[in-house]
Amino acid sequence: MAGLDPPPSSLSLSLSSPPQALEIHPFESPSSSSSSIFTFHPSHLIFSHLEFTQFSVIPCSFKAMGSSEERVVAVIMVGGPTKGTRFRPLSLNVPKPLFPLAGQPMVNHPISACRRIPNLAQVYLIGFYEEREFALYVSAISNELRVPVRYLREDKPRGSAGGFYSFRNYIMEDSPSHIFLLNCDVCCSFPLPEMLDAHKSYGGMGTILVIKVSAESAHQFGELVADPDTKELLHYAEKPETFVSDLINCGVYVFTPNIFAAIEEAIVERRGKAELRRITSFEALQSATKAIPADYVRLDQDILSPFAGKKEFYTYETLDFWEQIKTPGMSLKCSALYLHQFRYTSPQLLANANDAKGATIIGDVYIHPSAKVHPTAKVGPNVSISANARIGAGVRLISCIILDDVEVLENAVVIHSIVGWKSSIGKWSRVQGEGDCNAKLGITILGESVAVEDEVVVINSIVLPNKTLSVSVQEEIIL
Amino acid sequence: MKALILVGGFGTRLRPLTLSVPKPLVDFANKPMILHQIEALRDVGVTEVVLAINYQPEVMLNFLKDFEAKLGIKITCSQETEPLGTAGPLALARDKLIDGSGEPFFVLNSDVISEYPFDELIKFHKSHGGEATIMVTKVDEPSKYGVVVMEEETGKVDRFVEKPKIFVGNKINAGIYLLNPSVLDRIELRPTSIEKEVFPQIAADKELFAMVLPGFWMDVGQPKDYITGLRLYLNSLRKRSPSKLASGAHIVGNVLVHETAVIGEGCLIGPDVAIGPGCVVESGVRLSRCTVMRGARVKKHSCISSSIIGWHSTVGQWARVENMTILGEDVHVCDEIYSNGGVVLPHKEIKSSILKPEIVM
Repeated sequence: MAGLDPPPSSLSLSLSSPPQALEIHPFESPSSSSSSIFTFHPSHLIFSHLEFTQFSVIPCSFKAMGSSEERVVAVIMVGGPTKGTRFRPLSLNVPKPLFPLAGQPMVNHPISACRRIPNLAQVYLIGFYEEREFALYVSAISNELRVPVRYLREDKPRGSAGGFYSFRNYIMEDSPSHIFLLNCDVCCSFPLPEMLDAHKSYGGMGTILVIKVSAESAHQFGELVADPDTKELLHYAEKPETFVSDLINCGVYVFTPNIFAAIEEAIVERRGKAELRRITSFEALQSATKAIPADYVRLDQDILSPFAGKKEFYTYETLDFWEQIKTPGMSLKCSALYLHQFRYTSPQLLANANDAKGATIIGDVYIHPSAKVHPTAKVGPNVSISANARIGAGVRLISCIILDDVEVLENAVVIHSIVGWKSSIGKWSRVQGEGDCNAKLGITILGESVAVEDEVVVINSIVLPNKTLSVSVQEEIIL
Repeated sequence: MKALILVGGFGTRLRPLTLSVPKPLVDFANKPMILHQIEALRDVGVTEVVLAINYQPEVMLNFLKDFEAKLGIKITCSQETEPLGTAGPLALARDKLIDGSGEPFFVLNSDVISEYPFDELIKFHKSHGGEATIMVTKVDEPSKYGVVVMEEETGKVDRFVEKPKIFVGNKINAGIYLLNPSVLDRIELRPTSIEKEVFPQIAADKELFAMVLPGFWMDVGQPKDYITGLRLYLNSLRKRSPSKLASGAHIVGNVLVHETAVIGEGCLIGPDVAIGPGCVVESGVRLSRCTVMRGARVKKHSCISSSIIGWHSTVGQWARVENMTILGEDVHVCDEIYSNGGVVLPHKEIKSSILKPEIVM
């Protein structure tokens, strides 16, 4: 597994000063359409507490520099509030990209991976969330990671390629030679520098990250057929009913700037078809079904598929882990995957199992520096504890995410669960999920400010924010 | 005169509707719930209403700005930083409630719907000269609640009994009070229960009186009671101002239709239906015992009963929606779908039938 590659000119820097004092603004929407309330706190970023041994410094002007003219821009698609209903109830309180996995906001992981790309000039986050939901985060992460990050808001749905295309002026501002496009809700090792090298050797318009999955599960994704020698994309089918290939699209791409010309072609062709529909009366009758608007262009069906076999797109296969983070259950699984990856890339982030004074640590565990864990507690494997949480005496935590300001009282047990911000878990209570990250009620999720009273048992249930459980529940959704 | 309305917390029992707006702003009979109370208070001479809230103050304040001018009454907020129970908020709002005139002030629980006979309450309060008057209502199953034990002729309250195991009386606290300013001296600024700590003290001093609430009473804080409450409200409206109700060949029983709503041909609407502003009910639709909120569209040939259709939602053609289905804001039920008690969170599309009661997130 690749670690942090030493870049050509590196500097040893110790960032042990506390995070900058940033004003905390509660983001509360006055309108009724999106009732998520999220307060981003700089403690959500952990880098400033830790020492980095090496990283490349980008001069303050944030302009591209270096010996090579080959600048790279990365674009991360983050989605939007009404699109992400599968991530409820967690998305009722926080935009999905900012939900923490292994102690860091979800979108931190691809952004950190982008930092390993040589000559990275800029990172853009593109989504439908209101600007203010990302303003504080973007400013903080730019400072912390010393990478210019900017959030751009899509005004209307234009499809996965259309949105990317609509911001081409921003993307091309730095005259990049290559552009990465990543989906925020993808969990993987992001082998971006290796992908870039492969892409340069192929000489095509784009390279797609692919992974082999089981034949039975492949139909949930975009299936690709690639030439085994040249790695060229020969065929693409989105969620086919019959088996096409066990190689699937990971949602991570690198392009050369002529991708925009290809998208433009697709838009022009689509507009032509739309005109035809208006002219032909038979076509007009077809409008009973949803007609796709002219500038709605999907990357997979409208660009990759038609261009397959024309020596424009290639594939790069990853042998590491890959998952999609669509549901809270998957976020628990992916948090564990990233915690495991920390062993190789950032072992200093994991809790020290050999600390005799501290709690008993099993496996991969992340504990925020401001969290307090009683020495008699036993934590792990696969546990992530966020800022200001308090874990009491004799508590057992297994495979769970404990969010900010949670209090877990004495002798409680939490297994396969996500415990929401400011919640409290009573003495001797048991909060448990079966552990099936794909099932609807496979893990237990407690929303913000949920109180589980002493000795209460909560199993395979979802509890919305601001509830108090005074009796035990199983397999229930509590609104 | 002044009034305090206890708005309190998160309204979790009225989810998914309260995921979009705070509970007092959820529409009931085509008007935000709290507006029913504020208008009744204004009509009896209250000049200032204080809302005791602890959740989403900025949403409430925006609402107030719109309505203060229209209603001709001053509305302010008193925000709890920690939940203060049912009496603490009165202490918090003390300065707003006492104006030196010595006049009593109203305290209302925001979930309560009734005819609000405030005139009679004022008369009774003045006649007995006691420190506090509470309204009580008769219920069939008093042991589910706190029972008020009182002398029938004078109304003097003897004591409160919480969820009594044997029958001690059938009158419960209706959540409407008229209190003299001196009551505020009995309440400390801390989480306090008015029923458990304050009223028993006043009763012991023989200063607490109860009046039986004439007309209907309902706590509409949860969907089942909301639907029952609408029936009671419309029934009362039939007696007081029948001209406000809809009439016509396509109307059965008590039906309230907002003037900006549009109803198509061949429909059968009622009984006990409220159709909100800007709603479109297409032709051939059957509606009974339901609420259709602002901006919702009910498509042709569909059938809705005992349900609540949230703001800007749509119910598809030939869909059948019944048995306590609650659609949150902007929920779209596709054509020909059946929903039996589906509780659907906002911004969802229902593409397959819900055969038994289920929460759809």
